[in-house]
Amino acid sequence: MPRPVFGRVSAQKEARSARVGATVAHLDRDRALVEAARDDPAAFEPLYRRYLAQVYSYAYYELGDHHDAEDATERTFLLALAHLGRFEERARPADGEGASTFRVWLFRIAARRRHPTAPLDAAAVVPDPLDVEGRAAAREDVAAAWAAVGRLPADRRRAIVLRFVDEMSTAEIAGILGRSENAVRVLIHRALRSVARDLGRGRAAKDSPAR
Amino acid sequence: MTFPLRDRADADAILTDLYLDALLAAHDRRATDVPTSADLDPAIRFAAGRLSSDLARVHPSFRFEERLAARLAELAAHMRLAAAAGGSDARAPLDPSLDPHLDPAFGPDEDPAADPESLHNVRPLLLGGALTSAALSLAGAAYVAWRRSRPPLTPMARAVRAVAQSRPGGGARQGVRPRSLN
Repeated sequence: MPRPVFGRVSAQKEARSARVGATVAHLDRDRALVEAARDDPAAFEPLYRRYLAQVYSYAYYELGDHHDAEDATERTFLLALAHLGRFEERARPADGEGASTFRVWLFRIAARRRHPTAPLDAAAVVPDPLDVEGRAAAREDVAAAWAAVGRLPADRRRAIVLRFVDEMSTAEIAGILGRSENAVRVLIHRALRSVARDLGRGRAAKDSPAR
Repeated sequence: MTFPLRDRADADAILTDLYLDALLAAHDRRATDVPTSADLDPAIRFAAGRLSSDLARVHPSFRFEERLAARLAELAAHMRLAAAAGGSDARAPLDPSLDPHLDPAFGPDEDPAADPESLHNVRPLLLGGALTSAALSLAGAAYVAWRRSRPPLTPMARAVRAVAQSRPGGGARQGVRPRSLN
């Protein structure tokens, strides 16, 4: 019997997936790389290079500190390699061609034992070689967006970062956060409402002294 | 037609999700036009637009990337050696001395990605532990109170208690001086 993959799946959807599954050769885009790494651990490197920036970004947005993000990233990849034998591919046709259950598995490792230690600091990551006025304004916008995301409750922040920074599908985020796809949709919708309110307040405060 | 509140929230969330799919796809192909439903809240569109342009992916330093690559290569070599020595099983036992970041709590047969919910929410576990220990303490106090109020069951125990209570100053609880040899 096919198992739920990223999130909860209805019986009808599963049956449909099982029917289509027979015609799809490779469901998980990382299947070949994962199999190679299982045969020879030295072949893990392409997977590492593919997902390094994504895992690091997630850790950085979560922890707010480059050193902590490096530690978390290092731990994630070392554990992933050491435990690659435990990974089970669970892709379904319903997840689409670009889906990677390996990526979900990797992020589930990264998501363990995460505690924000510092507020997000946009200035630490936005390169600013020439501090001209236009760039300064853009930097302010970026800082405001980061601050608004940083003020979100942890589960909403995680969902937003996975959706916007790591560009994951709702199904993948559901798999990582251990929630249903519908719950993730609602989480992101509410998070965007909070961010809109927050950014709107900031804009109003900026405009009011000029009046 | 009006929806019940929960259905309406779900419908709004689905609209937002569809819009985000379109927005991120447009972002990938550097397009500016994003198909939008008229029912989508403009505030959601505004926030999504800002976040899609302002939340950048952060890349680690080149030095860190190469250092970690070297560590992974070292671990891979260790796993190959272990597999060669131990037979066909390619899984290596985790050696904490290989790297301090390897958590010895994870055995080779444990999935490090298992059960993320409990680790995202450490607090309920702690709260549960505190409640458990508090419950045990309450149970212990209740047991001691019950034992103290309850009369001893055996005649010998009743006699010992009667002798102890008849002694001046509380009897049994008082220290017994060692008898002098003189």
